[in-house]
Amino acid sequence: MAGPLGLSLAPYIRSSPTLTKLFTPVAKWYAGGSLYRQYGLLYDDLLIEERPEVQKALSRLTPREAYDRAFRIKRASHADVLHEPLPRELWTKPEQDIRYLLPHVETVVEEIKEREKWDTLEVKRTR
Amino acid sequence: MLASSVRLARRSFATVVDTAGLKVAALDANQPTVAITILAKAGPRYQSKPGVAHALKNFAFKSTADRSALGTVRESELYGGVLSSTLSREHLALTAEFLRGDEQYFVDVLASVIASTEFHRHEFEELVLPTIEGEVNALHADPATHAIELAHALAFRNGLGASLFAAPHTPITAEDVAQFAAQAFSKGNFAVLGTGISQSALSSLVSNALAVDSNAPKPPTTTASSYFGGETRVETHGTPQTIFIGFGAAGAPAPELAALAAYLDPNPSVKWARSASPMLQAEKTSVQAVYLPYSDAALVGLLIQAPTAAAVREAGKAAVAALKGTSGVKTEELKSAIAKAKFRLASSADGRAGVVEVLGSKVLTGASETSLEASLSALDKVTSAGFTKAATSLVKSKPTYVALGDTQSLPYADELGL
Repeated sequence: MAGPLGLSLAPYIRSSPTLTKLFTPVAKWYAGGSLYRQYGLLYDDLLIEERPEVQKALSRLTPREAYDRAFRIKRASHADVLHEPLPRELWTKPEQDIRYLLPHVETVVEEIKEREKWDTLEVKRTR
Repeated sequence: MLASSVRLARRSFATVVDTAGLKVAALDANQPTVAITILAKAGPRYQSKPGVAHALKNFAFKSTADRSALGTVRESELYGGVLSSTLSREHLALTAEFLRGDEQYFVDVLASVIASTEFHRHEFEELVLPTIEGEVNALHADPATHAIELAHALAFRNGLGASLFAAPHTPITAEDVAQFAAQAFSKGNFAVLGTGISQSALSSLVSNALAVDSNAPKPPTTTASSYFGGETRVETHGTPQTIFIGFGAAGAPAPELAALAAYLDPNPSVKWARSASPMLQAEKTSVQAVYLPYSDAALVGLLIQAPTAAAVREAGKAAVAALKGTSGVKTEELKSAIAKAKFRLASSADGRAGVVEVLGSKVLTGASETSLEASLSALDKVTSAGFTKAATSLVKSKPTYVALGDTQSLPYADELGL
């Protein structure tokens, strides 16, 4: 239920083919309806970055990915100041909206969990 | 008399080629600990890009398909084992040292390191690059190592001349390291050496754990070494004034050169004793005889360090005189030099690292004779005439001269009579 970035029903829905079938069009409609694509952002640009896991993940982006992210955020901020979405040709297309940051966040969370596991390990002698 | 009366315990260092085509050698002298080394022909000599061997050395024991970098360290700590990787100009050694009984786990760790290290970009940037940087900084703080590095670059240029260290801001990437690792740990390019474990136990463990990928890339290649020589001067601050005077020879290192290095060594055999050698007359001067044998070349020389350039100059003049004055070697001097060289070889092969150093390269080249006796008896056969001939032909070649420190006042090679 709880993903690295908070509660999420997505894994549960994805695990059931019926629910997936039911929810996919709704999800697509919802994502298209949220304005972030009209401002040229990707979904992962919206992840709350004021947390250590995401900060660490951001440090692991390639220079190109980091530059593009900064550019998109700057462009969206500017559009926001103008109180107007970007021109239609600059909107993020659904196929461009990839999760470039989430895999890194998940790796970092795994690492933190593993470190906790080793730090609190109880050693039992078996032989 | 001296040499023949020393009886050596027979060390059998058998080599087998097991089914997977791996070279496995083991030496069990009933030690309380076991050490298993994977020795690959993956030193800087074989590297495809400058510094990639150094990066691979530091990439050892990072995330593999089986366990993460942290998991490897913590689990090995629970077993009380030590994992290390060392780099020489020709070989990369991944070593696990542990208590008897834990062989299964540590062979598994080594196998997963060479077969399935994942070479993540973030590990390269977060874990590997800082260690590379630290080692490069340590190199620049140690003029002796730095001088030997520069001497190799002058003496052999490519191949053996490649530095053990990556450049401070190396352009290599994790993918480069992954490619080099695939080559380095390809079939026939590495051997497994064990101490404190029987040959059969090691063979069976290794053949179970290590499946050599038959469609792995070809092993890295190198060209035969040749000796060039030359002079370089590097300005450094706050370090002892250092010069290196050396000569190199291509071809398999002759035992005469080992005897020559032992003959040149001015240090007394007794601690705190004052040497009568003219090289060590100035206060706080240190002179080390350097003998670095490789598979197809050798570097012999003297490394001189002193607080002042004037002291270095005096010792340097004496060192050049000693290097050029080997023709008048007395029989008893030669005998003691040979005994010294033999003792050094034998005592270095006493420790675990020495076993890997002395015998590992022989195992890797597929030499049939892998015992220590062969090297020792070769030293016994050194004659006065052969010694003089080898020494004079060595000194005839162009010298390798490195000056490190206050280059304004350190002597030039021609000022020392080279």
